[in-house]
Amino acid sequence: MTAHEISEFLAPIRHEFPDQRSLILPALRFAQEEQGWLPPEAMAAVAEATGYSQAYVESVASFYDRLYTEPVGRRVISVCTTLSCMLRGSDELLAHVAANIGTNGEGTSADGMFTLQRAECLGACDRAPCLQVDSDDQQGPLTHDDADAIIGALRADGAPTRYDR
Amino acid sequence: MPQLNSVYRHREFQDLLTLSGYERAGGWNGLKATLEMSPDDALYAFQRSGLRGRGGAGFPMGRKASFLPKDSGRPTYVVCNADESEPGTFKDREILDKNPFQLIEGVAIASYGVGCERAYIYVRGEYGHQAEVLRRAITECREAGRLGPDAFGPGAPFDIALYRGAGAYICGEETALLESLEGKRGQPRLKPPFPAVAGLYGCPTLINNVETLAALPPIMHRGADWYAAIGPEKSPGTKIFSVSGHVLKPGNYEIVMGETTLRELIFDLAGGLRDGREFKACWPGGSSVPVLTAEHLDTPLDYESLAGAGTFLGSGGCIVMDDSGCIVRASWRLAHFYRHESCGKCTPCREGTGWLEKILGRIVHGDGRLEDLAMLESLFGRISGRTLCALADGAVAPVQSALELFRDDFVQVIEQGGSPVPEPMGVINV
Repeated sequence: MTAHEISEFLAPIRHEFPDQRSLILPALRFAQEEQGWLPPEAMAAVAEATGYSQAYVESVASFYDRLYTEPVGRRVISVCTTLSCMLRGSDELLAHVAANIGTNGEGTSADGMFTLQRAECLGACDRAPCLQVDSDDQQGPLTHDDADAIIGALRADGAPTRYDR
Repeated sequence: MPQLNSVYRHREFQDLLTLSGYERAGGWNGLKATLEMSPDDALYAFQRSGLRGRGGAGFPMGRKASFLPKDSGRPTYVVCNADESEPGTFKDREILDKNPFQLIEGVAIASYGVGCERAYIYVRGEYGHQAEVLRRAITECREAGRLGPDAFGPGAPFDIALYRGAGAYICGEETALLESLEGKRGQPRLKPPFPAVAGLYGCPTLINNVETLAALPPIMHRGADWYAAIGPEKSPGTKIFSVSGHVLKPGNYEIVMGETTLRELIFDLAGGLRDGREFKACWPGGSSVPVLTAEHLDTPLDYESLAGAGTFLGSGGCIVMDDSGCIVRASWRLAHFYRHESCGKCTPCREGTGWLEKILGRIVHGDGRLEDLAMLESLFGRISGRTLCALADGAVAPVQSALELFRDDFVQVIEQGGSPVPEPMGVINV
């Protein structure tokens, strides 16, 4: 992702923010779509497009859970494990997904297809136990078979056209 | 047990995801009525309605709006807090998913009252789908002229910018949200100055929760007096409760404030518990509030009554646990949440939430000692009330109350060498 591409993405929303610093977060989200995470080159491109230093951009990015400063798999699966989901079997769901994709708990599968992470409340307690793929709609309530079906469909799909994690 | 779908208009009408469908359901009547008033009269109507902030703090919305100075010489902003991330709370998600135009109309009404030409809706990073629904609705409003250069009449512009968070519970705290919206790390500010005086970009700013703003269209259409007459005098109106955990029908329920008890919410509306299970505990207002026991089930659901029971109405996220659950394990899981979400700015919170999780964790895993309970008790007062924002108070409240109300359970877990993992409720199709 080049600074130019990021600038083009920002052009239609620039006028919405009197202080251009507000563009850093949208720019980071956009920059992340290409590789799924934010390598130093992406941070540099965001810095150039927004006019802030790379150090500052990285300090912002490192604050947020859904901006990844380490490589992740092609699809990120977040299993909510906060209280409502825990009561409905989220820990067991997380362990089941991990077994399916071959990670030991949280982590990235050997084939680079999936990153599994436990999430704090996803705002879908009525769907507990639930998971979220990237930032698609939260899915649940899920049996272990349901989760297998979701993972199977993702494997068959390949990469999505838009990540938006 | 009166239910009234005032905010959840989509439960009464079809096709609310298109502008024309929303118009057929009476959409924009609230804004239309508002635009016939002066901004001051609109502000007065907000106050007379008695509407209180639905995000958690319950501060009167109209009073908050009246704090914005009118002669600052700077732009005024309205910011909608759609960073719903309080555990157990998913009411705003349904508004964004199913009734986005009512939120847009509500934001417009509030903006007219405080003289704002550009409002922001800050949607939590995880709500990707919901943000997309809202984005489409905003686009449709712009195309129809409901937003844009003549939104409030010829030459009277108003527009809404959508802003996405990126995963941080703390950004639901209003000043942390403003920091995030300004392109910074989402850490709370020292107050005062309050956002009403120096908020977004240092300008006068009104920040309200999604449910609060979405409540405005019916209020302005049917009149502040109509709203003020619903429910108790000090807590008028409807409130959406999200019920989750060990209930058979988890979901959102919009009810008239004060006319439904906690028991009716859990056992009638939310379907009650599985056969053979007893009620154990519930966190009625999100996870940041003191826990309640079966003794409190007959408490009416309104701000004052819940405060009288020693807890808070909070966000209305009601998490229910039956006797298959372990209160110590539940407390530990909540402590983990707050430790993870502490932004790290204030030492008592950054360190204290870590200690809470650590001590509860060792009790759950069988390494606890009875002295740990005294240590927990000594921690509460060193965390609560000593930080810039309420996250630390929210971390302490559920743990402290659990220890007070269920001390025997803590002692038992320590003495028996830990809390075995209970069988989860799993998926039940009702």
